[in-house]
Amino acid sequence: MDETLRPRPDREYRRIAVFGGVYNNSEALAATLEDTRRRDVEAVFCLGDMGGFGPHPDRVFPLLQEHGVLAIQGNYDESLASGRADCGCGYTDPRDNHFARISYEYTFTRTAADHKAWLGTLPRHRRVALGPHRVLMCHGSPRVINEFLWESTTPDGLLRHFLRQQAADVLLCTHTGIKWHRPLPGGERAVNVGVIGRPENDGSTNVWYTVLTATPDLQVEFVPVHYDHETLARQIEQEGLPAEFAETIRTGWWTTCLENLPTKERVRGKF
Amino acid sequence: MNRVLPVLPATPPARPPAPVAPFVRLTALWIQITGTWCNLRCTHCINASGPGEPWLPVLDAGTARAAIREADALGVKEIYFTGGEPFLHGEILPLLREALAVAPTTVLTNGTRIGATMADALAGLAAESPYSLEIRVSLDEVDPEANDRVRGRGAWARAVGAIRRLDARGLLPIVTATEILRDERAGGPGTYERFRTFLLSLGVEKPRVKIMPVFSTGRLERDGGELLTEERLEGFDRGLLQCAESRVVAHGGVYACPILAGLPEARLSTGSIEESFRPAPLYHTVCVTCHETGMSCRNY
Repeated sequence: MDETLRPRPDREYRRIAVFGGVYNNSEALAATLEDTRRRDVEAVFCLGDMGGFGPHPDRVFPLLQEHGVLAIQGNYDESLASGRADCGCGYTDPRDNHFARISYEYTFTRTAADHKAWLGTLPRHRRVALGPHRVLMCHGSPRVINEFLWESTTPDGLLRHFLRQQAADVLLCTHTGIKWHRPLPGGERAVNVGVIGRPENDGSTNVWYTVLTATPDLQVEFVPVHYDHETLARQIEQEGLPAEFAETIRTGWWTTCLENLPTKERVRGKF
Repeated sequence: MNRVLPVLPATPPARPPAPVAPFVRLTALWIQITGTWCNLRCTHCINASGPGEPWLPVLDAGTARAAIREADALGVKEIYFTGGEPFLHGEILPLLREALAVAPTTVLTNGTRIGATMADALAGLAAESPYSLEIRVSLDEVDPEANDRVRGRGAWARAVGAIRRLDARGLLPIVTATEILRDERAGGPGTYERFRTFLLSLGVEKPRVKIMPVFSTGRLERDGGELLTEERLEGFDRGLLQCAESRVVAHGGVYACPILAGLPEARLSTGSIEESFRPAPLYHTVCVTCHETGMSCRNY
Protein backbone atom coordinates (compact mmCIF):
# COMPACT_ATOMS: atom_id res chain seq x y z
CA MET A 1 0.00 0.00 0.00
CA ASP A 2 1.19 3.52 -0.85
CA GLU A 3 2.39 5.12 2.40
CA THR A 4 0.31 8.25 1.75
CA LEU A 5 -2.85 6.12 1.51
CA ARG A 6 -2.37 4.31 4.80
CA PRO A 7 -5.32 4.86 7.12
CA ARG A 8 -4.39 7.06 10.04
CA PRO A 9 -5.23 6.00 13.58
CA ASP A 10 -7.68 8.15 15.54
CA ARG A 11 -5.28 8.48 18.48
CA GLU A 12 -2.32 6.86 20.17
CA TYR A 13 -2.69 5.05 23.49
CA ARG A 14 -0.54 3.00 25.82
CA ARG A 15 -3.22 1.00 27.62
CA ILE A 16 -6.86 0.43 26.71
CA ALA A 17 -9.83 -1.70 27.78
CA VAL A 18 -12.07 -3.29 25.15
CA PHE A 19 -15.30 -5.24 25.44
CA GLY A 20 -18.11 -6.38 23.18
CA GLY A 21 -21.68 -7.68 23.40
CA VAL A 22 -23.45 -5.76 26.17
CA TYR A 23 -26.74 -7.53 25.35
CA ASN A 24 -28.81 -5.22 27.60
CA ASN A 25 -26.83 -6.42 30.61
CA SER A 26 -26.55 -3.14 32.53
CA GLU A 27 -25.46 -4.97 35.71
CA ALA A 28 -22.38 -6.42 34.00
CA LEU A 29 -21.71 -3.17 32.16
CA ALA A 30 -21.65 -1.17 35.41
CA ALA A 31 -19.33 -3.74 37.01
CA THR A 32 -17.03 -3.76 33.97
CA LEU A 33 -16.74 0.02 33.89
CA GLU A 34 -16.03 0.03 37.61
CA ASP A 35 -13.29 -2.55 37.07
CA THR A 36 -11.65 -0.61 34.22
CA ARG A 37 -11.29 2.43 36.48
CA ARG A 38 -8.98 0.43 38.74
CA ARG A 39 -6.71 -0.61 35.89
CA ASP A 40 -5.16 2.63 34.73
CA VAL A 41 -6.56 2.49 31.21
CA GLU A 42 -6.57 5.59 29.02
CA ALA A 43 -9.74 4.72 27.12
CA VAL A 44 -12.53 2.16 27.10
CA PHE A 45 -13.86 0.78 23.81
CA CYS A 46 -17.01 -1.21 23.05
CA LEU A 47 -17.13 -3.26 19.85
CA GLY A 48 -20.91 -3.21 19.56
CA ASP A 49 -24.15 -5.14 20.14
CA MET A 50 -25.64 -3.15 22.99
CA GLY A 51 -28.92 -5.08 22.76
CA GLY A 52 -29.80 -8.76 23.07
CA PHE A 53 -30.86 -11.37 25.58
CA GLY A 54 -31.22 -9.11 28.65
CA PRO A 55 -33.88 -6.78 30.13
CA HIS A 56 -34.43 -3.02 30.02
CA PRO A 57 -32.33 -2.05 26.98
CA ASP A 58 -32.44 1.69 27.73
CA ARG A 59 -30.40 1.25 30.92
CA VAL A 60 -27.11 0.63 29.14
CA PHE A 61 -26.97 3.85 27.12
CA PRO A 62 -26.52 6.35 29.99
CA LEU A 63 -23.71 4.17 31.36
CA LEU A 64 -21.91 4.03 28.02
CA GLN A 65 -22.29 7.75 27.44
CA GLU A 66 -21.48 8.97 30.97
CA HIS A 67 -18.28 6.94 30.99
CA GLY A 68 -17.18 8.15 27.57
CA VAL A 69 -17.03 4.65 26.12
CA LEU A 70 -15.82 4.79 22.52
CA ALA A 71 -18.19 2.45 20.73
CA ILE A 72 -18.52 1.00 17.27
CA GLN A 73 -21.61 -0.47 15.68
CA GLY A 74 -22.50 -4.14 15.92
CA ASN A 75 -25.11 -5.89 13.82
CA TYR A 76 -27.74 -5.46 16.56
CA ASP A 77 -27.05 -1.73 16.71
CA GLU A 78 -27.21 -1.42 12.96
CA SER A 79 -30.57 -3.24 12.92
CA LEU A 80 -32.05 -1.12 15.72
CA ALA A 81 -30.83 2.12 14.18
CA SER A 82 -32.14 1.32 10.73
CA GLY A 83 -35.45 -0.22 11.81
CA ARG A 84 -34.67 -3.65 10.41
CA ALA A 85 -37.09 -6.47 11.16
CA ASP A 86 -34.39 -8.76 12.58
CA CYS A 87 -31.18 -8.57 14.57
CA GLY A 88 -28.95 -9.57 11.67
CA CYS A 89 -27.02 -11.91 13.95
CA GLY A 90 -26.41 -14.27 11.05
CA TYR A 91 -28.02 -17.39 12.51
CA THR A 92 -29.19 -20.04 10.08
CA ASP A 93 -30.67 -22.59 12.47
CA PRO A 94 -34.45 -22.45 13.17
CA ARG A 95 -34.02 -22.82 16.95
CA ASP A 96 -31.42 -20.03 17.08
CA ASN A 97 -33.65 -17.80 15.00
CA HIS A 98 -36.67 -18.48 17.23
CA PHE A 99 -34.91 -17.11 20.32
CA ALA A 100 -33.19 -14.34 18.38
CA ARG A 101 -36.59 -13.10 17.19
CA ILE A 102 -38.01 -12.94 20.72
CA SER A 103 -34.97 -11.10 21.98
CA TYR A 104 -34.92 -8.61 19.11
CA GLU A 105 -38.64 -7.80 19.23
CA TYR A 106 -38.38 -7.17 22.97
CA THR A 107 -35.32 -4.93 22.54
CA PHE A 108 -36.64 -3.08 19.50
CA THR A 109 -39.89 -2.06 21.16
CA ARG A 110 -38.16 -0.94 24.37
CA THR A 111 -35.25 1.04 22.98
CA ALA A 112 -35.95 4.77 22.94
CA ALA A 113 -35.79 6.61 19.63
CA ASP A 114 -32.89 8.81 20.73
CA HIS A 115 -30.87 5.73 21.70
CA LYS A 116 -31.57 4.14 18.33
CA ALA A 117 -30.47 7.39 16.70
CA TRP A 118 -27.24 7.35 18.75
CA LEU A 119 -26.54 3.79 17.61
CA GLY A 120 -26.91 5.04 14.06
CA THR A 121 -24.09 7.53 14.58
CA LEU A 122 -21.54 4.92 15.61
CA PRO A 123 -18.72 4.07 13.20
CA ARG A 124 -18.30 0.53 11.81
CA HIS A 125 -14.57 0.44 12.57
CA ARG A 126 -12.03 2.27 14.67
CA ARG A 127 -8.30 2.54 14.22
CA VAL A 128 -5.98 3.42 17.07
CA ALA A 129 -2.27 3.22 17.69
CA LEU A 130 -1.26 1.27 20.76
CA GLY A 131 2.36 2.23 21.13
CA PRO A 132 3.90 1.07 17.86
CA HIS A 133 1.00 -1.26 17.04
CA ARG A 134 -1.63 -0.35 14.45
CA VAL A 135 -4.93 -1.63 15.83
CA LEU A 136 -8.09 -2.20 13.82
CA MET A 137 -11.34 -2.67 15.77
CA CYS A 138 -14.44 -4.23 14.23
CA HIS A 139 -17.53 -6.09 15.39
CA GLY A 140 -17.65 -9.38 13.43
CA SER A 141 -14.80 -9.15 10.95
CA PRO A 142 -13.27 -6.26 9.02
CA ARG A 143 -15.33 -7.25 5.98
CA VAL A 144 -18.72 -8.34 7.35
CA ILE A 145 -20.37 -6.93 10.47
CA ASN A 146 -21.95 -10.26 11.47
CA GLU A 147 -19.19 -12.67 10.43
CA PHE A 148 -18.42 -15.17 13.19
CA LEU A 149 -14.71 -15.40 13.95
CA TRP A 150 -14.61 -18.39 16.30
CA GLU A 151 -11.21 -19.52 17.44
CA SER A 152 -11.57 -22.89 15.72
CA THR A 153 -12.89 -21.53 12.42
CA THR A 154 -10.58 -18.59 11.84
CA PRO A 155 -7.51 -19.66 9.90
CA ASP A 156 -4.16 -17.90 10.27
CA GLY A 157 -4.22 -17.32 6.51
CA LEU A 158 -7.50 -15.42 6.77
CA LEU A 159 -6.19 -13.27 9.64
CA ARG A 160 -3.04 -12.45 7.66
CA HIS A 161 -5.26 -11.56 4.71
CA PHE A 162 -7.38 -9.19 6.87
CA LEU A 163 -4.37 -7.51 8.45
CA ARG A 164 -2.58 -7.06 5.15
CA GLN A 165 -5.68 -5.66 3.49
CA GLN A 166 -6.33 -3.28 6.38
CA ALA A 167 -2.71 -2.24 6.92
CA ALA A 168 -2.97 -3.23 10.60
CA ASP A 169 -0.86 -5.27 13.04
CA VAL A 170 -3.60 -6.09 15.53
CA LEU A 171 -7.19 -7.07 14.86
CA LEU A 172 -9.81 -6.77 17.61
CA CYS A 173 -13.26 -8.31 17.14
CA THR A 174 -16.18 -9.77 19.13
CA HIS A 175 -19.64 -11.06 17.95
CA THR A 176 -19.17 -14.75 18.81
CA GLY A 177 -19.34 -14.38 22.59
CA ILE A 178 -16.18 -16.37 23.36
CA LYS A 179 -12.79 -14.71 23.70
CA TRP A 180 -9.50 -15.85 22.16
CA HIS A 181 -6.07 -14.47 21.36
CA ARG A 182 -3.79 -15.59 18.53
CA PRO A 183 -0.25 -14.34 17.96
CA LEU A 184 0.70 -14.93 14.32
CA PRO A 185 4.14 -16.07 13.19
CA GLY A 186 4.89 -12.63 11.70
CA GLY A 187 4.30 -10.90 15.03
CA GLU A 188 0.75 -9.70 14.28
CA ARG A 189 -2.11 -10.44 16.66
CA ALA A 190 -5.78 -11.20 16.49
CA VAL A 191 -7.93 -10.94 19.60
CA ASN A 192 -11.59 -11.70 20.05
CA VAL A 193 -12.23 -9.56 23.11
CA GLY A 194 -15.26 -11.54 24.32
CA VAL A 195 -18.57 -10.14 25.55
CA ILE A 196 -19.86 -8.79 28.83
CA GLY A 197 -23.53 -9.55 28.17
CA ARG A 198 -23.54 -13.27 28.83
CA PRO A 199 -21.09 -15.77 30.26
CA GLU A 200 -18.99 -17.68 27.80
CA ASN A 201 -20.50 -21.16 27.96
CA ASP A 202 -18.04 -22.58 30.45
CA GLY A 203 -20.25 -23.06 33.51
CA SER A 204 -19.02 -19.86 35.20
CA THR A 205 -21.32 -16.88 35.68
CA ASN A 206 -18.66 -14.20 35.21
CA VAL A 207 -18.14 -12.34 31.93
CA TRP A 208 -14.92 -11.15 30.28
CA TYR A 209 -13.31 -8.07 28.81
CA THR A 210 -9.79 -7.38 27.55
CA VAL A 211 -7.00 -5.00 28.56
CA LEU A 212 -4.30 -4.34 25.96
CA THR A 213 -1.01 -2.67 26.91
CA ALA A 214 1.90 -1.55 24.75
CA THR A 215 5.10 -2.09 26.76
CA PRO A 216 6.01 -1.58 23.84
CA ASP A 217 5.44 -5.30 23.18
CA LEU A 218 1.73 -5.94 23.14
CA GLN A 219 0.33 -7.50 26.31
CA VAL A 220 -3.14 -9.00 26.12
CA GLU A 221 -4.96 -9.68 29.38
CA PHE A 222 -8.44 -11.20 29.66
CA VAL A 223 -10.18 -9.86 32.75
CA PRO A 224 -13.04 -11.74 34.44
CA VAL A 225 -15.90 -9.62 35.76
CA HIS A 226 -18.14 -10.91 38.52
CA TYR A 227 -21.39 -9.01 38.82
CA ASP A 228 -24.83 -9.33 40.36
CA HIS A 229 -26.02 -11.94 37.89
CA GLU A 230 -28.90 -13.06 40.09
CA THR A 231 -30.47 -9.59 39.91
CA LEU A 232 -30.17 -9.68 36.14
CA ALA A 233 -31.71 -13.17 35.93
CA ARG A 234 -34.66 -12.03 38.07
CA GLN A 235 -35.18 -9.00 35.81
CA ILE A 236 -35.19 -11.27 32.77
CA GLU A 237 -37.93 -13.35 34.38
CA GLN A 238 -39.93 -10.30 35.48
CA GLU A 239 -39.86 -9.00 31.92
CA GLY A 240 -41.33 -12.24 30.60
CA LEU A 241 -38.29 -13.11 28.51
CA PRO A 242 -37.60 -16.83 27.91
CA ALA A 243 -36.56 -18.84 30.96
CA GLU A 244 -33.63 -20.10 28.88
CA PHE A 245 -32.06 -16.61 28.94
CA ALA A 246 -32.19 -16.46 32.73
CA GLU A 247 -30.82 -20.00 32.98
CA THR A 248 -27.74 -19.03 30.96
CA ILE A 249 -27.09 -16.06 33.27
CA ARG A 250 -27.44 -18.25 36.38
CA THR A 251 -25.49 -21.28 35.19
CA GLY A 252 -22.92 -19.97 32.74
CA TRP A 253 -24.05 -22.47 30.09
CA TRP A 254 -25.55 -21.29 26.81
CA THR A 255 -29.07 -22.59 26.29
CA THR A 256 -29.95 -20.70 23.10
CA CYS A 257 -28.27 -19.27 20.01
CA LEU A 258 -25.64 -21.99 20.07
CA GLU A 259 -26.46 -24.06 17.00
CA ASN A 260 -23.84 -22.25 14.94
CA LEU A 261 -21.05 -23.12 17.35
CA PRO A 262 -18.32 -25.10 15.59
CA THR A 263 -17.57 -28.56 16.99
CA LYS A 264 -14.59 -27.57 19.11
CA GLU A 265 -16.50 -24.78 20.87
CA ARG A 266 -19.77 -26.73 21.07
CA VAL A 267 -18.26 -29.80 22.66
CA ARG A 268 -17.00 -27.72 25.59
CA GLY A 269 -20.53 -26.53 26.47
CA LYS A 270 -23.27 -28.35 28.30
CA PHE A 271 -25.92 -28.15 25.56
CA MET B 1 -59.22 -29.03 -47.78
CA ASN B 2 -56.28 -26.74 -47.62
CA ARG B 3 -54.28 -26.87 -44.41
CA VAL B 4 -52.47 -23.79 -43.20
CA LEU B 5 -49.02 -24.83 -42.09
CA PRO B 6 -47.34 -22.87 -39.34
CA VAL B 7 -44.37 -20.86 -40.43
CA LEU B 8 -41.38 -21.96 -38.35
CA PRO B 9 -38.49 -19.60 -37.76
CA ALA B 10 -35.31 -20.66 -39.49
CA THR B 11 -33.40 -20.49 -36.19
CA PRO B 12 -34.74 -20.72 -32.64
CA PRO B 13 -35.19 -17.38 -30.87
CA ALA B 14 -32.01 -16.28 -29.13
CA ARG B 15 -32.07 -16.73 -25.35
CA PRO B 16 -30.85 -13.71 -23.46
CA PRO B 17 -27.48 -14.25 -21.80
CA ALA B 18 -27.71 -15.64 -18.26
CA PRO B 19 -27.43 -13.11 -15.46
CA VAL B 20 -24.28 -13.37 -13.37
CA ALA B 21 -23.32 -13.34 -9.70
CA PRO B 22 -20.30 -11.21 -8.80
CA PHE B 23 -17.22 -12.74 -7.23
CA VAL B 24 -17.04 -11.16 -3.77
CA ARG B 25 -14.46 -13.18 -1.85
CA LEU B 26 -13.17 -16.73 -1.37
CA THR B 27 -14.86 -17.89 1.82
CA ALA B 28 -15.28 -21.58 1.04
CA LEU B 29 -13.13 -23.91 -1.02
CA TRP B 30 -14.95 -27.07 -2.05
CA ILE B 31 -12.97 -30.10 -3.19
CA GLN B 32 -15.03 -32.54 -5.26
CA ILE B 33 -12.69 -35.30 -4.25
CA THR B 34 -14.46 -38.39 -5.58
CA GLY B 35 -16.29 -36.74 -8.47
CA THR B 36 -19.56 -38.61 -8.81
CA TRP B 37 -18.24 -41.94 -7.53
CA CYS B 38 -20.43 -43.19 -4.68
CA ASN B 39 -21.41 -46.49 -3.09
CA LEU B 40 -25.07 -45.40 -2.86
CA ARG B 41 -27.45 -44.44 -5.63
CA CYS B 42 -29.96 -42.07 -4.04
CA THR B 43 -33.07 -41.27 -6.04
CA HIS B 44 -32.62 -37.52 -5.63
CA CYS B 45 -28.82 -37.17 -5.81
CA ILE B 46 -27.96 -33.67 -6.99
CA ASN B 47 -25.14 -34.81 -9.25
CA ALA B 48 -26.34 -38.32 -10.08
CA SER B 49 -23.52 -40.01 -8.20
CA GLY B 50 -23.47 -43.76 -8.00
CA PRO B 51 -21.41 -46.94 -7.99
CA GLY B 52 -20.93 -47.20 -11.76
CA GLU B 53 -18.40 -45.37 -13.90
CA PRO B 54 -18.63 -41.76 -12.63
CA TRP B 55 -19.48 -39.11 -15.21
CA LEU B 56 -17.22 -36.78 -13.21
CA PRO B 57 -13.94 -38.58 -12.44
CA VAL B 58 -12.20 -38.79 -9.08
CA LEU B 59 -9.85 -35.88 -8.39
CA ASP B 60 -6.19 -36.74 -8.06
CA ALA B 61 -4.65 -36.04 -4.67
CA GLY B 62 -1.98 -33.74 -6.15
CA THR B 63 -4.61 -31.36 -7.53
CA ALA B 64 -6.41 -31.37 -4.18
CA ARG B 65 -3.15 -30.57 -2.33
CA ALA B 66 -2.34 -27.72 -4.70
CA ALA B 67 -5.84 -26.33 -4.19
CA ILE B 68 -5.46 -26.40 -0.41
CA ARG B 69 -2.13 -24.57 -0.63
CA GLU B 70 -3.46 -21.94 -3.02
CA ALA B 71 -6.64 -21.38 -1.02
CA ASP B 72 -4.59 -20.88 2.15
CA ALA B 73 -2.49 -18.21 0.44
CA LEU B 74 -5.70 -16.54 -0.77
CA GLY B 75 -7.13 -16.30 2.75
CA VAL B 76 -9.82 -18.99 2.53
CA LYS B 77 -12.03 -19.38 5.61
CA GLU B 78 -13.18 -23.00 5.32
CA ILE B 79 -12.61 -26.12 3.25
CA TYR B 80 -15.20 -28.75 2.28
CA PHE B 81 -14.71 -32.24 0.85
CA THR B 82 -17.58 -33.68 -1.14
CA GLY B 83 -18.30 -36.11 -3.98
CA GLY B 84 -19.70 -38.73 -4.52
CA GLU B 85 -18.65 -40.32 -1.29
CA PRO B 86 -15.37 -38.76 -0.07
CA PHE B 87 -14.42 -41.69 2.14
CA LEU B 88 -14.02 -43.89 -0.97
CA HIS B 89 -10.92 -41.85 -1.86
CA GLY B 90 -7.73 -43.69 -0.99
CA GLU B 91 -5.99 -40.56 0.31
CA ILE B 92 -8.85 -38.94 2.15
CA LEU B 93 -7.20 -39.05 5.60
CA PRO B 94 -3.88 -37.46 4.58
CA LEU B 95 -5.78 -34.86 2.58
CA LEU B 96 -7.97 -34.03 5.57
CA ARG B 97 -4.85 -33.66 7.71
CA GLU B 98 -3.39 -31.20 5.18
CA ALA B 99 -6.63 -29.22 5.00
CA LEU B 100 -6.95 -29.11 8.78
CA ALA B 101 -3.43 -27.70 9.02
CA VAL B 102 -4.66 -24.52 7.34
CA ALA B 103 -8.42 -24.16 7.87
CA PRO B 104 -11.55 -25.62 9.45
CA THR B 105 -12.62 -28.54 7.31
CA THR B 106 -15.90 -30.32 6.65
CA VAL B 107 -16.63 -33.65 4.96
CA LEU B 108 -20.02 -34.41 3.41
CA THR B 109 -20.57 -38.14 3.67
CA ASN B 110 -23.24 -40.83 3.58
CA GLY B 111 -21.62 -42.34 6.66
CA THR B 112 -21.37 -45.84 5.23
CA ARG B 113 -17.56 -45.98 5.50
CA ILE B 114 -17.30 -44.65 9.04
CA GLY B 115 -16.71 -47.72 11.15
CA ALA B 116 -14.91 -47.65 14.49
CA THR B 117 -11.44 -47.48 12.92
CA MET B 118 -12.33 -44.55 10.66
CA ALA B 119 -14.11 -42.76 13.49
CA ASP B 120 -10.98 -43.15 15.64
CA ALA B 121 -8.82 -41.80 12.83
CA LEU B 122 -11.10 -38.78 12.38
CA ALA B 123 -11.10 -38.09 16.11
CA GLY B 124 -7.30 -38.19 16.00
CA LEU B 125 -7.17 -35.70 13.13
CA ALA B 126 -9.61 -33.40 14.94
CA ALA B 127 -7.57 -33.51 18.14
CA GLU B 128 -4.30 -32.57 16.47
CA SER B 129 -5.71 -29.54 14.59
CA PRO B 130 -6.48 -26.12 16.06
CA TYR B 131 -9.40 -25.96 13.63
CA SER B 132 -12.76 -27.70 13.78
CA LEU B 133 -13.37 -30.85 11.78
CA GLU B 134 -17.05 -31.16 10.89
CA ILE B 135 -18.58 -34.36 9.56
CA ARG B 136 -21.92 -33.96 7.79
CA VAL B 137 -23.79 -37.26 7.60
CA SER B 138 -26.66 -37.47 5.12
CA LEU B 139 -29.91 -39.04 6.30
CA ASP B 140 -33.20 -38.26 4.61
CA GLU B 141 -35.70 -39.63 7.09
CA VAL B 142 -35.70 -40.79 10.68
CA ASP B 143 -37.74 -43.85 9.72
CA PRO B 144 -35.50 -46.63 8.28
CA GLU B 145 -37.97 -47.85 5.69
CA ALA B 146 -38.69 -44.37 4.30
CA ASN B 147 -35.02 -43.39 4.31
CA ASP B 148 -33.90 -46.54 2.55
CA ARG B 149 -36.57 -46.12 -0.09
CA VAL B 150 -34.69 -43.08 -1.39
CA ARG B 151 -31.12 -43.83 -0.24
CA GLY B 152 -30.95 -47.61 -0.73
CA ARG B 153 -31.34 -50.67 1.47
CA GLY B 154 -29.24 -50.59 4.61
CA ALA B 155 -28.30 -46.92 4.23
CA TRP B 156 -30.20 -45.86 7.38
CA ALA B 157 -28.52 -48.39 9.65
CA ARG B 158 -25.04 -47.52 8.40
CA ALA B 159 -25.59 -43.75 8.63
CA VAL B 160 -27.05 -44.02 12.12
CA GLY B 161 -24.13 -46.21 13.17
CA ALA B 162 -21.74 -43.52 11.92
CA ILE B 163 -23.66 -40.80 13.77
CA ARG B 164 -23.40 -42.76 17.03
CA ARG B 165 -19.68 -43.48 16.58
CA LEU B 166 -18.80 -39.88 15.70
CA ASP B 167 -20.88 -38.48 18.55
CA ALA B 168 -19.30 -40.89 21.03
CA ARG B 169 -15.90 -39.46 20.06
CA GLY B 170 -16.98 -35.83 20.51
CA LEU B 171 -17.11 -35.11 16.79
CA LEU B 172 -20.76 -33.90 16.98
CA PRO B 173 -21.87 -34.80 13.44
CA ILE B 174 -24.17 -32.47 11.54
CA VAL B 175 -27.02 -34.59 10.21
CA THR B 176 -28.03 -33.31 6.81
CA ALA B 177 -31.50 -34.05 5.48
CA THR B 178 -33.09 -33.11 2.20
CA GLU B 179 -36.81 -32.53 2.12
CA ILE B 180 -37.37 -35.24 -0.48
CA LEU B 181 -39.97 -36.97 1.73
CA ARG B 182 -41.62 -33.83 3.07
CA ASP B 183 -44.96 -34.47 1.37
CA GLU B 184 -45.28 -37.84 3.10
CA ARG B 185 -44.81 -36.18 6.48
CA ALA B 186 -47.27 -33.32 5.97
CA GLY B 187 -49.25 -32.55 9.10
CA GLY B 188 -46.67 -33.88 11.56
CA PRO B 189 -43.69 -32.15 13.11
CA GLY B 190 -41.43 -30.35 10.64
CA THR B 191 -38.27 -31.97 9.32
CA TYR B 192 -36.03 -30.03 11.71
CA GLU B 193 -37.97 -30.94 14.85
CA ARG B 194 -38.37 -34.55 13.72
CA PHE B 195 -34.62 -34.95 13.30
CA ARG B 196 -33.79 -33.17 16.55
CA THR B 197 -36.17 -35.43 18.48
CA PHE B 198 -34.80 -38.50 16.73
CA LEU B 199 -31.17 -37.62 17.50
CA LEU B 200 -32.00 -36.94 21.14
CA SER B 201 -33.67 -40.37 21.27
CA LEU B 202 -30.41 -41.91 20.04
CA GLY B 203 -28.63 -40.33 23.00
CA VAL B 204 -27.05 -37.55 20.93
CA GLU B 205 -27.08 -34.75 23.51
CA LYS B 206 -26.04 -31.97 21.14
CA PRO B 207 -28.10 -32.64 18.02
CA ARG B 208 -27.07 -30.68 14.95
CA VAL B 209 -29.37 -30.66 11.94
CA LYS B 210 -29.06 -29.02 8.54
CA ILE B 211 -31.97 -29.08 6.11
CA MET B 212 -31.38 -28.86 2.37
CA PRO B 213 -34.02 -28.18 -0.28
CA VAL B 214 -34.56 -30.61 -3.13
CA PHE B 215 -32.92 -29.57 -6.39
CA SER B 216 -34.30 -30.45 -9.80
CA THR B 217 -30.98 -31.61 -11.10
CA GLY B 218 -28.80 -34.68 -11.14
CA ARG B 219 -31.05 -37.70 -10.81
CA LEU B 220 -34.10 -35.41 -10.64
CA GLU B 221 -33.11 -33.45 -13.76
CA ARG B 222 -36.11 -32.61 -15.93
CA ASP B 223 -36.36 -30.82 -19.24
CA GLY B 224 -37.37 -27.21 -19.06
CA GLY B 225 -37.78 -25.48 -15.75
CA GLU B 226 -37.49 -21.88 -14.77
CA LEU B 227 -34.32 -19.88 -15.17
CA LEU B 228 -33.20 -16.67 -13.51
CA THR B 229 -33.48 -13.48 -15.51
CA GLU B 230 -32.20 -9.96 -15.02
CA GLU B 231 -35.77 -8.81 -14.34
CA ARG B 232 -36.29 -11.44 -11.68
CA LEU B 233 -33.08 -10.43 -9.91
CA GLU B 234 -33.83 -6.74 -9.89
CA GLY B 235 -33.24 -5.29 -6.43
CA PHE B 236 -31.71 -8.55 -5.15
CA ASP B 237 -28.18 -8.53 -3.72
CA ARG B 238 -26.47 -11.22 -5.79
CA GLY B 239 -23.51 -11.11 -3.47
CA LEU B 240 -25.64 -13.17 -1.08
CA LEU B 241 -25.60 -16.19 -3.39
CA GLN B 242 -23.10 -18.82 -2.34
CA CYS B 243 -21.38 -18.73 -5.74
CA ALA B 244 -20.28 -15.17 -4.87
CA GLU B 245 -17.95 -16.56 -2.21
CA SER B 246 -17.34 -20.23 -3.00
CA ARG B 247 -15.20 -22.00 -5.53
CA VAL B 248 -15.09 -25.72 -6.29
CA VAL B 249 -12.07 -27.65 -7.46
CA ALA B 250 -13.12 -30.76 -9.36
CA HIS B 251 -11.80 -32.84 -12.20
CA GLY B 252 -11.49 -30.52 -15.18
CA GLY B 253 -11.13 -27.20 -13.43
CA VAL B 254 -12.55 -24.71 -10.97
CA TYR B 255 -16.30 -24.22 -10.79
CA ALA B 256 -18.65 -21.72 -9.18
CA CYS B 257 -21.03 -24.10 -7.43
CA PRO B 258 -20.74 -27.41 -5.57
CA ILE B 259 -23.97 -28.63 -7.17
CA LEU B 260 -22.92 -27.79 -10.72
CA ALA B 261 -19.26 -28.87 -10.45
CA GLY B 262 -18.19 -30.78 -13.53
CA LEU B 263 -20.64 -29.07 -15.90
CA PRO B 264 -18.81 -27.11 -18.61
CA GLU B 265 -21.14 -24.09 -18.33
CA ALA B 266 -20.28 -23.72 -14.62
CA ARG B 267 -16.52 -23.92 -15.14
CA LEU B 268 -14.68 -20.66 -14.49
CA SER B 269 -11.08 -21.76 -14.83
CA THR B 270 -9.04 -24.68 -16.07
CA GLY B 271 -6.04 -23.36 -14.14
CA SER B 272 -5.69 -21.80 -10.73
CA ILE B 273 -8.38 -20.90 -8.22
CA GLU B 274 -7.44 -17.25 -8.51
CA GLU B 275 -8.16 -17.37 -12.24
CA SER B 276 -11.75 -18.28 -11.36
CA PHE B 277 -12.29 -15.02 -9.46
CA ARG B 278 -14.77 -13.61 -11.94
CA PRO B 279 -18.57 -13.44 -12.20
CA ALA B 280 -20.43 -16.76 -12.30
CA PRO B 281 -23.26 -17.31 -14.79
CA LEU B 282 -26.61 -18.06 -13.12
CA TYR B 283 -27.61 -20.25 -16.02
CA HIS B 284 -29.13 -23.33 -14.39
CA THR B 285 -32.51 -24.15 -12.86
CA VAL B 286 -30.77 -24.83 -9.51
CA CYS B 287 -29.85 -21.12 -9.41
CA VAL B 288 -33.58 -20.44 -9.02
CA THR B 289 -33.70 -22.65 -5.90
CA CYS B 290 -30.68 -20.89 -4.37
CA HIS B 291 -32.22 -17.49 -5.11
CA GLU B 292 -35.64 -18.39 -3.74
CA THR B 293 -34.62 -20.32 -0.63
CA GLY B 294 -31.44 -18.41 0.26
CA MET B 295 -29.84 -21.80 0.86
CA SER B 296 -26.15 -22.46 1.17
CA CYS B 297 -24.34 -25.77 0.98
CA ARG B 298 -22.02 -24.46 3.73
CA ASN B 299 -22.58 -25.57 7.33
CA TYR B 300 -24.14 -22.30 8.52
